Amino acid sequence: MTMKALSPASHPRLGIGCRVRKVENGDSVLLLPEGILRLKGTAAEIIQLCNGERTVADILKAMQVLYPSVDPQQIEQEIESFLNRLLERRALDFQ
Amino acid sequence: MISPPLALIAEVTHRCPLHCVYCSNPLELKARAEELPTGTWSRVFEEGAELGMFHVHFTGGEPLARNDLAELVSVAHSLGLYTNLITSGIGLNEKKLMALIEAGLDHLQMSFQDGEERFADWVAGAPVHAHKLALAGLIRASIGLAFTVNLVAHRHNLDRLDSMISFAESLGPQRIEIANVQYYGWAWKNREWLLPTREQVKRSVAVVEQAQERLKGQIKIDFVPPDYYATFPKPCMAGWGRQLMLVDPSGSVLPCHAAAVIPDLHFENVKQKPLRSIWEESAAFCRFRGEDWMPEPCRSCERRTLDFGGCRCQAFLVTGAANATDPVCSLAPAHHLIEEWVACTNSAASTAPSSTLTPESELPWTYRPQPA
Repeated sequence: MTMKALSPASHPRLGIGCRVRKVENGDSVLLLPEGILRLKGTAAEIIQLCNGERTVADILKAMQVLYPSVDPQQIEQEIESFLNRLLERRALDFQ
Repeated sequence: MISPPLALIAEVTHRCPLHCVYCSNPLELKARAEELPTGTWSRVFEEGAELGMFHVHFTGGEPLARNDLAELVSVAHSLGLYTNLITSGIGLNEKKLMALIEAGLDHLQMSFQDGEERFADWVAGAPVHAHKLALAGLIRASIGLAFTVNLVAHRHNLDRLDSMISFAESLGPQRIEIANVQYYGWAWKNREWLLPTREQVKRSVAVVEQAQERLKGQIKIDFVPPDYYATFPKPCMAGWGRQLMLVDPSGSVLPCHAAAVIPDLHFENVKQKPLRSIWEESAAFCRFRGEDWMPEPCRSCERRTLDFGGCRCQAFLVTGAANATDPVCSLAPAHHLIEEWVACTNSAASTAPSSTLTPESELPWTYRPQPA
């Protein structure tokens, strides 16, 4: 059974029935059973990191390394809220 | 430049072992002899992928009534399209399910007519519930297939929504869709027996909200309220000719499931024209695309970019004019027609508490038949 809430130790990965597809202009979309999400900005990078092996803490660290000039707390807040929104749509699973 | 469609609704057959009283298929069902062959459907998927679509929703009738379903799924999948099967489950067995998964099926949505067998079989007009339950177990056990349970809500089950959600939960899906009946096709014919009361709707919204909170992060619950009780119309099909194309069993291409009710629309067929030209140029798709067709109050309404004037088929069915503002809108000139309908339903319910039918009642409604 899926855990109810995210924690820094959770191992997120794409939910069953959800997959990423590249589109012509180089952007990505996340295909869901009932529709699509266009992945803007860093969303595609974050989703790529959700491979079931990295923890939420690992993903935060990786993004903080990728974007050293952005306030680390802001990165943390944005990633947590993004992952929670995906979780509510059942676009993410946790191991 | 018209944006490309996002998804194809492939109504591959109108044949169905169920006879649901709220079926959204048109009253004039396409016969088996009219159905497109495998090769034509394959070409349609190629044209859809080339046009930039992402999803193919296989629906019917019952798509499993076609022996080539796994082949069709395989063609769509190999083109990179997301494949979704909308099914009653009847016709499925372990072997067929495995073949569909191997063909690349991404998601399966199975509808249940109720949580209780006697109600479910009554609404479906066929003894199918027990068999469907067994199939749901099979789907849950299969690895890698995303699963949604769909429940159709109406006057005769809305009071039991809490237990229906528990029932759906027990089937182990990632998603539960609770869709109130929309009044088109056979549901329009049977609307007198299906529309819930205002009290029922109010209670059901609270029940859904509680379940959504309880199951957050585990099961996603989508809820489609009955629009007769809404203040503003639904953005039907996300706008006419904006995101979706429906190909019916005979190859006619429609902007939605119900558009055939609009009498003066002519639909092109995939046998004669490519999807791209139908999407971009056909009279039926252009007819209510954009805002030029809109009457007041839509034309100057700030909500016109949110709901696109609502539903053209509903406007036609209720008012007789397909270009009228959707009458469920509280601002629509014909809104009184919906209000009268709703008032009638609610007053009948308050004077006759037994207006809820049971499977033992005499049957007043029309079951959807099998096509020829």
